[in-house]
Amino acid sequence: MRIVRIVTAAGVLALLGLLVWSVAHRHGPGVAVAVDRGERVPAPKLDLPRLDAPGRLSLASLRGKVVVVNFWQSSCVPCKQEAKALAAASAHWRTRDVVFVGVDSLDLKSTGRAYMKHYDVEYPNVRDALGSTYPNWGVTGTPETFFIDRRGRVVPPHIIGQASRQRLDEGIRRALRS
Amino acid sequence: MRLLAAAVAALALAAPAAACVHPASQSKLEAELVCLQCHTTLDESSSPFANQMKADVARQIALCRSERQILDSMVAQFGPTVLSTPQTHGFDLLAWILPLGGALLGAAALAAGAWHWSRRRGPDDPPPSHALDPADERLVDEELARF
Repeated sequence: MRIVRIVTAAGVLALLGLLVWSVAHRHGPGVAVAVDRGERVPAPKLDLPRLDAPGRLSLASLRGKVVVVNFWQSSCVPCKQEAKALAAASAHWRTRDVVFVGVDSLDLKSTGRAYMKHYDVEYPNVRDALGSTYPNWGVTGTPETFFIDRRGRVVPPHIIGQASRQRLDEGIRRALRS
Repeated sequence: MRLLAAAVAALALAAPAAACVHPASQSKLEAELVCLQCHTTLDESSSPFANQMKADVARQIALCRSERQILDSMVAQFGPTVLSTPQTHGFDLLAWILPLGGALLGAAALAAGAWHWSRRRGPDDPPPSHALDPADERLVDEELARF
């Protein structure tokens, strides 16, 4: 009977431990909420395998440049609608130390690569197979676009949904001034 | 128009699959793979992402890939969470062992409890006495006498 009590107590303790671990590892609302309030917050870590090339790409390696991070998915219609504007803006701002980074999430490699080819996406793209970056960034769907200043801070605006060329240019200008 | 195009594509892919000796089953694979966006199996989802995965499965079947090869290719892209049932090796094995272990532990605890309870009173033990002590008996008699 004593053994049963010990096993029960151990089970309860293990469940409590799991609960504490779960609470401690719970993600906050992500940076999107803070940016939408007008705050400038340090960019969450982004270090993922490249979709368009071998190797990985880390956001930390782009410190000192303005970075436009665009979350997309090849099956998402608004992503397709904004793809040309992103490609054009990327080409336009390339010479002014502005880097575009695409994050293809919850997508097949083959369809992601076909999408890049179809829409002439030439800027680097990484692959987030399981959407594991969503919680830290506060991404709720695709497309979403963030602007990071030279000091590695995410700055307003944060574009939810299709980004027009005008909104992209505005975001980049604000990040350059930040 | 899109549906027509998808049907034509499916037919075009199905034709070479017929040439395979033992073609993998599309419906079986759709039940074994999870749409990571909607968190249901592919056969229960018609989201754009699920449809892309289904098309990729069909493409691989047309290439005469086995069920194992197709599942492995999906796991290589998305990890084991793309499978609707946990794998039977590595860390995922715990998903099979823990419920079984829990059931066995529960059964053992029940058995131990039953054994302990049955040992509390042996067959030769005298039955519990329900007799009142003399003082209580006298009190009861007095109370009854009043009525």
